[in-house]
Amino acid sequence: MRESEKQLELKELAEKLVTFAKTNGADEVEITVLDGYEFSVDVRLGEIENLVEADSRSLGLKVIKDKKTAYASSSDLALETLEHLVKNSIERAQLANYDEFSGLPSLFPSQIDISSLNLFDPQLAELSADRKIALAKETEKIGLSDKRITNSHGASFETREVKAVLANSNGFIQEYDQTYCGLSLGLQAGETDSRVEDGWFSAKRYFHQLESSEEVAKKAVERTARQLNPRKIKSQNVPIVFEPMMTSWLLGFLFACVSGTSIYQKTSFLVDKLGKRIGNDKVTVIDDGLIPGLLGTRPFDSEGVPSQKTLVVDKGILKNYLCNTYAARKLKLQSTGNADGAGVGPSNFYLIPGETPPEKIISSLDKGLILIRTIGHGLNPVTGDISRGAFGLWVEKGEIVYPVSEITISGNLGDILNKIEAVGNDLDFRVPVAGPTVLVQEMTVAGQ
Amino acid sequence: MKKSEPIPFEDHFELSKNKLQKILDIALSRGGDFSDIFLEYRIYNLINMEEDIIKETAESISLGLGIRVIADEKTGYGYTNDLSVEKIKKAALVAASIASSEASRNASSLKQAQLSHNFYPVLEPAHQESLERKISLVKNTYFSAKNFDSKIDKVKVSFQEQVQFITIVNSEGLSVSDARPLVKLVCLAIAKKEGKREAGFSGGGGRVGLEYFSEELTAEEIAKDAAQEALHLLEAKAPPAGEMPVVLAPGHSGVLVHEAVGHLLEADFNRKKTSIFWDKMGKKVASSLLTIYDDPTIPLSRGSYNIDDEGTIPKKTILINKGKMSGMLQDRLSAKLMKSSLTGHGRREDFSCIPLPRMSNTYIERGDYDPEEIIKSVKKGFYAGKFQGGQVEDSGKFTFSVSSGYLIENGKLTVPVKQATLIGTNIDILKNIEMVGSDLEFGLPTGTCSKEGQSVPVSDGCPTLKIVKMTVGGQK
Repeated sequence: MRESEKQLELKELAEKLVTFAKTNGADEVEITVLDGYEFSVDVRLGEIENLVEADSRSLGLKVIKDKKTAYASSSDLALETLEHLVKNSIERAQLANYDEFSGLPSLFPSQIDISSLNLFDPQLAELSADRKIALAKETEKIGLSDKRITNSHGASFETREVKAVLANSNGFIQEYDQTYCGLSLGLQAGETDSRVEDGWFSAKRYFHQLESSEEVAKKAVERTARQLNPRKIKSQNVPIVFEPMMTSWLLGFLFACVSGTSIYQKTSFLVDKLGKRIGNDKVTVIDDGLIPGLLGTRPFDSEGVPSQKTLVVDKGILKNYLCNTYAARKLKLQSTGNADGAGVGPSNFYLIPGETPPEKIISSLDKGLILIRTIGHGLNPVTGDISRGAFGLWVEKGEIVYPVSEITISGNLGDILNKIEAVGNDLDFRVPVAGPTVLVQEMTVAGQ
Repeated sequence: MKKSEPIPFEDHFELSKNKLQKILDIALSRGGDFSDIFLEYRIYNLINMEEDIIKETAESISLGLGIRVIADEKTGYGYTNDLSVEKIKKAALVAASIASSEASRNASSLKQAQLSHNFYPVLEPAHQESLERKISLVKNTYFSAKNFDSKIDKVKVSFQEQVQFITIVNSEGLSVSDARPLVKLVCLAIAKKEGKREAGFSGGGGRVGLEYFSEELTAEEIAKDAAQEALHLLEAKAPPAGEMPVVLAPGHSGVLVHEAVGHLLEADFNRKKTSIFWDKMGKKVASSLLTIYDDPTIPLSRGSYNIDDEGTIPKKTILINKGKMSGMLQDRLSAKLMKSSLTGHGRREDFSCIPLPRMSNTYIERGDYDPEEIIKSVKKGFYAGKFQGGQVEDSGKFTFSVSSGYLIENGKLTVPVKQATLIGTNIDILKNIEMVGSDLEFGLPTGTCSKEGQSVPVSDGCPTLKIVKMTVGGQK
């Protein structure tokens, strides 16, 4: 993407391979080429720890012969290697089984103006390495200047530029460029045997939208220090406040359960729930790949289906599963433009915010737990069961009284969606799967 | 076991010793204490089966090199998957830029090292066997699970196999190559009864050949294990909540040693003093019943390697000796800065990644107790059977997620339970280990460990263990 010559090359390469596959017997073929540049610097205790800079390219392909599918990918872009992979794939496809649902999507008329999506910051390329290093150093320095902070995991600044080219045998050929930049800081507070840790970050497509070193550092300090001197609590059922990053985690799990793949594979507790109530009327969830400038935005998905805005849950009623072409055919639905590699992925997947400020949600609690972090696994999409290690802040009479740790929370996503009592007004798309603060009427907290 | 030769090394890089020597010199052109080049060629194959059909196959080729320069505590890194001289030089200059001395250095002249050991004595390397044979293995697993019980409703089987050819050269004159096979067959089974659905999971593999699936663990055994877990969970209740004695099943519970001990004894976290262990070398950190090793030299094991990803010959490393902290897992950078010797634990996911100290095969040494006796000693508690995984923080707080287990009542396993999270602080839990069984086993040979965004294959093992008390997260 740095030289205009290369652009031509990659588009040509993709088209050439489509033709090559067709001539060698493929019925359908899809070629994806990614061309990326990355820069990242990690600093710790004021010094550079790692500095990485690289260009890299990769190519992915899918061929279908007699409704049988094979995939291949390579980071070696020599034409000889790629043609060999194409031939191998056509041969290998014969060993798969006939699958009536396989095949490329039909060609959609393109109506999306890629430049209006604000995916590419032309100024990012002009940012010098020294400036990037200085930003990371500055962020860490502000973090370490707080007396409560006793050690640092370091600060990082990262930029990426990626060009994606997609071509298929139905005549689709398009490309787009995108940029990304991220600033992050990880800290520890307390002495060796009573350490607490946390961090914070900002990530954007445009450098000028990135939060400042000061904002990132202050937030990292606050998030770390608030966990100092935790207590254990007794096992009990209490109201739980999910901070926005925790809502985001919960929504990630919801996404896994509404993905068309998990529905047709019957690995989701939301199988056969389309049109039915799965939550209360405070729950409206949307997937939107077209919001300008956001991290989950893209003009089309990995199969070339245009991105769209999909209402997933409308005031508690499950309206749509999110599908790629294959899952849609299996479920007799339409693709929602959520193809991601060979599977299904979210674009900007979010819970519609309410009107209550988060402080009000907390002050309304007589007793409860603010969930601030979870660790571990413990999500089961087949049943909706959730069980995780957790860190939180204990609330009594509307006030935060002390931090708690060494607890677990457990519940079921189906129950939680029906027990959402309040939705905050603080949605920010820090990550593509995002939500505001929410209050859940009751979950089990296990402690002493 | 029958005799076997190492997988022959094929040179895919077409870079002469002279050229590599020159690249190392470019990498050190701005000073720098050390430089190395990691060259990688990897072929990966995948077969997926679901809904009674072979749904897809995939082949993936990864080719590239990474160049690293170390100057004091700083690392500069450039990588490329375009092996043209111009691109490689560019990567070398990126790496070089981390150093800022006027004086350039020259690398020592390269000498090819010959390995006298082979930890992957495979007979039938998977990448050389026919796709038809692998497909029939997948189908056999699939239908064994599907037909195991009428309540088995859905099955997914995935077979993944790769061979990774690497060459590492460095400025100290080392030039060494390895060819690492890696195979994994996994099965997910979903059982259904009266509208209730539960999933069971199992798998097999390692740095093995296809003979593994007839000699060590068959498709039928993997299928049965997954199906049985799903059926078991159909009958399972929600776990209790609160502090109680916990008995960990052998094998799968190795995730405890991985999370609670292994990560925090990776040298980088101790050098940076972020690990709770950094000031505890030689001190008692666990029950004296506990001895823990990390051993990358176990033949055929998923976490093993002939050389680590910095070219070091690995050593079985003691981490905890009868409760005392006795060792750490080192890579070159941490060993140099801590003035320690290398243990051969510098690993990376691929050529685009900087090496980090990592685990390989981590396990708790067997103890003296009969496993039956351990269960009998518990009046009321929790038996953790199979695990989904775990996570730890440098502060020592860790969790692991139990997918299935039992209640222990009056010394017997009674009600099956599902989906529980155990949480604790490592030093408290390690001191609370009261009994160690004589039945050391390794867990599912399909595990992957993630650190700073890099995934590497690992395995872990442990005998039956009893923890006096631990917080079990369940329903109230």
